[in-house]
Amino acid sequence: MSIRQFVSEIQRGSISAEESIAKAIKSAGSLNKKLKFFITPTFDLAARHAHQVQHLVNNHSDAGRLAGIAVSVKDALCIEGVESCAGSAVLKGYKPLITATAVSKTIASGGCIIGKTAQDEFGFGGFNTNVGQGFPVPLNPHDSLRSCGGSSGGAACITSAADFPHIAVAESTGGSIVNPAAFCGVVGLCPTYGRVSRNGLIDYANSLDKIGVMGRCVDDVAIALEIMAGKDSNDHTSSSVPVGYYGSHAVSPRRQLKVGIVKESFGEGVDERVVKNVRDAIKKVTDAGVQTAEVSLPLAFNYGVPSYYLIALSEASTNLARYNGLLFGATEKLSSDSKGFRDFFASVRTKYFGAEAKRRILLGTFARMAGWRDAYYTKALQVRQLIIQEYQRAFSQVDVLVSPTMPFIAPKFSEISQMSPLQNYMADILTVGPNLAGLPHMSLPCGTVEGMPVGIMFTAPHFREDMLIHAGGMHESI
Amino acid sequence: MSPSEVIIGLEVHIQLKLNSKLFCSCSTVGEEEPNTRVCPICLGHPGTKPLLNKKAVDAAVRLGLALGSTINKKINFSRKQYFYPDLAKNYQITQYEIPVAISGSIVLSSGKIIDVARIHIEEDPAALTHTDSTSLIDYNRSGIPLIELVTKPVMNSPDEAREFLNTLLTIIGYLDIFDQNTGIMKADANISIAEKGFTRVEIKNILGFKEIERALSYELARQKAHPVVRETRSWDAVAGQTYSMRAKEQEEDYGYIFEPDIPPINISAEYLEELKKTVPELPSTKSERWVKEHKIDAADSKIIASELQLALLFEQLIQHHNPVLIAKWLRRELLRVLNLSGKTVADIKPDRLHELFALLESKTVTDKIGQKLIEELAKSDFSPRQRVEEQKLGVISDGEFIAKLCKDAIAQNPKAVSDYKAGEEKALHFLFGKVMASAKGKAKPDVIKQILKELL
Repeated sequence: MSIRQFVSEIQRGSISAEESIAKAIKSAGSLNKKLKFFITPTFDLAARHAHQVQHLVNNHSDAGRLAGIAVSVKDALCIEGVESCAGSAVLKGYKPLITATAVSKTIASGGCIIGKTAQDEFGFGGFNTNVGQGFPVPLNPHDSLRSCGGSSGGAACITSAADFPHIAVAESTGGSIVNPAAFCGVVGLCPTYGRVSRNGLIDYANSLDKIGVMGRCVDDVAIALEIMAGKDSNDHTSSSVPVGYYGSHAVSPRRQLKVGIVKESFGEGVDERVVKNVRDAIKKVTDAGVQTAEVSLPLAFNYGVPSYYLIALSEASTNLARYNGLLFGATEKLSSDSKGFRDFFASVRTKYFGAEAKRRILLGTFARMAGWRDAYYTKALQVRQLIIQEYQRAFSQVDVLVSPTMPFIAPKFSEISQMSPLQNYMADILTVGPNLAGLPHMSLPCGTVEGMPVGIMFTAPHFREDMLIHAGGMHESI
Repeated sequence: MSPSEVIIGLEVHIQLKLNSKLFCSCSTVGEEEPNTRVCPICLGHPGTKPLLNKKAVDAAVRLGLALGSTINKKINFSRKQYFYPDLAKNYQITQYEIPVAISGSIVLSSGKIIDVARIHIEEDPAALTHTDSTSLIDYNRSGIPLIELVTKPVMNSPDEAREFLNTLLTIIGYLDIFDQNTGIMKADANISIAEKGFTRVEIKNILGFKEIERALSYELARQKAHPVVRETRSWDAVAGQTYSMRAKEQEEDYGYIFEPDIPPINISAEYLEELKKTVPELPSTKSERWVKEHKIDAADSKIIASELQLALLFEQLIQHHNPVLIAKWLRRELLRVLNLSGKTVADIKPDRLHELFALLESKTVTDKIGQKLIEELAKSDFSPRQRVEEQKLGVISDGEFIAKLCKDAIAQNPKAVSDYKAGEEKALHFLFGKVMASAKGKAKPDVIKQILKELL
């Protein structure tokens, strides 16, 4: 049942929100034992939210457009009083004083927060295997020997596995929504940078972080986006562009879309079987009368990954500077023989940051040091502008872009452990472009290879989520 | 040592007079218990975003305009990252690439122009208090809005540096962006001398313009007497000396990046026009204009112009009174009694002064009585005109009465009389004082002088 249908049943009183959430809690609990998508389940919170929803329904009040829906939240989004660690041991035990705006908006619309989902530490990965010490690695529901993708791996995992109405609030910096959505066979939507407030999101890279949503169908994610989006006085980078009516595959003005096929994304380094699935899907929409054109994005493909990592890690290395054992999160005992604050900070950071976090802090710090800054950090910012312009040129010819989401199907954990950091970073080749340019993009299921889901990705111009949803709906319905 | 053999540049931090912090709504007014004026933002909690207090931008732009700076059309903020326990985020949000203003200046009384290279906004870190075994952190200060102003290294003496800071203090007082009572103005100075090859030494933590001359004079003497290395030193006001903090090689690389949570801010022409209207005529312009228009004493003019309230009072009073008289009385008498009583200009009602100066101008009272009245006005509010009537303080010009007092004075002070006759002019002043005292300050001075001379 779609969220739209389910919520109307709840609102009519034909389904009890409390009973439904009780079932969801039971199911999520047993699924989580097997798949490990939760870092912190919040079943008490979900029950409380369901009680509020039921109370409103009983009083014939509007219980909201997510009434009685189980909502999972990526660990990086703060919920007041609920341990929120962004998957890092350095924040173990940290209970925020604030709730992320995106989360409070879903709660205000009747969403029932069921748990904080697994992720790579601070979002530093594409397979959800770079987890903080003591944190879970979620297993792919389609094959437990394989990764869910990342960094929002837990979000995709529960979205795929849930046998109850559910949406996942996720986050993407360089592809962390569409990547796991593709690997787990769900719909993942990452909106335009600034479309959803980042207030309460534990930062990875502030100029790239975007909060989005995962669900089982386009309409589900469209409804959730509509609720989360909008200007927020607690985040200066949130946009005041009016939020559209994203539901029901709306596009305004309603018209036939012209789809641009991104040439480079079907080339070298992309699994031929993945290419075939996506080409077949494109053929189906073409047969249904959609116009297509080939589009080339050489800058995005040649310079996207390095520029993305230089900017993201420069910002990340400053964001992570605050974790030093002084004000929040993990700490060490101050000993009388400690040699000053530097030793103390170093001891906390050495002990509680994972290997990938340390690697990214070092790379990011290097890229912004005097003498290197102009060649790396500043240059990458310039390249980002050029890549944005390249996309804008492409969008002068077509309405949306299409490509495979990931160059391969979800890899096995045994394969991931053999990959070098560089191979890891190159897995982002198809997703960094729209992320670096801040463009809305969405991954949808597109058949299978070896029984594993393949994802097809659409990308739209800034703040044209309506076109994105229209394109996704078109693919979904054919 | 000739002036060009010393080179001094200043980096001044001014605490802005704003009601809330730079990136959150925590209050900044008055004193509070440590760590009570804090919130998730100024404690740097994960997930929080800085929310810029736009009034800080207004203040920096206004200072820029007052110093004739170029205001950048688009400004941005940056992160200056270094590890230190007083920084909640371990980076400070400041401005690096494009500050609010560049290329302004302040003119010293000698006519020398001191270039102000840049003016930018930044947040204050928390306050650290060190005890023998521990260090305590007070985050009440974390996020307090500051302006940093950087001069070119063009000052050539500690005296110039002091005058620069003093003038700056007057200007920020005029702009009402600095609270002289609670605000902190701190300077870091760089100083180098020719005979040591202009090896640059930085001195940190110099509080206020009174300290700057002491600190720089000390450092100048030290550099002349000792070997100089490129280093950062700290000024210890209690010990009255500088001490080495770190060698230049140990200087940190701050790894600046743009602050991604605050989008660049456009400074529109309309906005600048609006702010220009709020920049008052500056003290130096005012004082020069007064000298020219009203022929008042240049020194009086400068001192009156150096405090906005006093300047405004002056301009109000001269609409009805002789400017030369007002200038003299404000500087010599009003400032004297205010200093003595610890009061400010705002504590005395302008109407009372208006009455008093009317009495003086019409010679209804003597200067002596005027001085007494102004002293009393600093203590309590009353109508000078009424008091003069009630207590019969009006001037006495009755020749017979004054002649009697003069005769008494001459009879009682034979030594002064003989001294005067021996040619000592001062003795006449002495006798004059005696007469005035017995007249309780009310006798008309000209009449006393005339009668004394006649009698002697």
